[in-house]
Amino acid sequence: MKFTIVVYAAPYSSEAAHSALQFTAALLKAGHEVYRLFFFGDGVHNANRFTVTATDEENLPLSWHRLILDNNLDAVVCVSSSLKRGLVDASEAKRHDFDAGTLFDSSEIAGLGQLVDATTNSDRVVNFG
Amino acid sequence: MTHKKFITFVSRSAPYGTHNAQLCLDMALACAVFDQEVNYVFLDDGVYQLKREQRAAAIKRKTLGNAIEALSLYGIENIMVDGASMQSRALQVADLVLPVTLVDRADISALLQASDVVFNL
Amino acid sequence: MSCLHTINRSPRFAQLDSCSSLLLPGDAVLFIEDGTYYCSGPHKIPATMSGVELYALQEDMIARGTEATCVKEVTLANYSKFVELSCEFDKVISWF
Repeated sequence: MKFTIVVYAAPYSSEAAHSALQFTAALLKAGHEVYRLFFFGDGVHNANRFTVTATDEENLPLSWHRLILDNNLDAVVCVSSSLKRGLVDASEAKRHDFDAGTLFDSSEIAGLGQLVDATTNSDRVVNFG
Repeated sequence: MTHKKFITFVSRSAPYGTHNAQLCLDMALACAVFDQEVNYVFLDDGVYQLKREQRAAAIKRKTLGNAIEALSLYGIENIMVDGASMQSRALQVADLVLPVTLVDRADISALLQASDVVFNL
Repeated sequence: MSCLHTINRSPRFAQLDSCSSLLLPGDAVLFIEDGTYYCSGPHKIPATMSGVELYALQEDMIARGTEATCVKEVTLANYSKFVELSCEFDKVISWF
């Protein structure tokens, strides 16, 4: 089946981002297709490449990044959620005169139209917040 | 946009303490813009979004009650407000920004069953 | 169309109060994260839910030390089962 996963929760504030990651990994393991990952609201922090964790602690954004790359997933962070939370890609960073982009390049900044598209083209939409 | 879907938003959060109410509204309006069949339900603390006389400028926010009035402008006509949530919060229909019909849990339950996708926040 | 509901907050947040009033026969509830505290200890799941399949995410109960005290009406499910359930039911409604 085709799934879209929507993540509203920031890492390290609640368990939900971890649950979303485990669920997505389990979906792929079972042979299902992930049509899109959509990070919304505080969920955009899951795509922050400047995340530093202790060596014995899971780096959730890095885990997402690897899962996305390893499985060639389509991952989107909502533009209106991400910019106001400091999640910018290289071109947004340049436009706003920041030193560097904060977003992993495995995720793309886009609008809510991408969520609507994902909703209409997926068999299941599963939300984690 | 290949398939038109029957999508229900259940807005359960008060307007300003978290951003959930705004996120829920933004998603619904986006779905409406892209021509989906959208239903909107106010449940639990979500009914506080409909309270008259909000002036969110006092906390440097936009008043959500005004935005709610946009639902019908975007073609979202099926708006349900849970009567039990209103009653337990001592709210009357006259306290609200919209002229609404209250529904009971069986109506909401039937809508959820009929929906292709439900966003609940 | 049947629904799988997920509940992720502890009973203090009363997510199940609204959720349980909207369930229909054929629906199921999966308790995850702090929602799994509904599944250990007495009298937290309303009697009105007796016709509904109940599951709890095993990983979350193991993490909380509650797996051994999971109440008998609730079936433990791992992530793989969570995936199966989300296919088996027509939609997933997440309460958070």
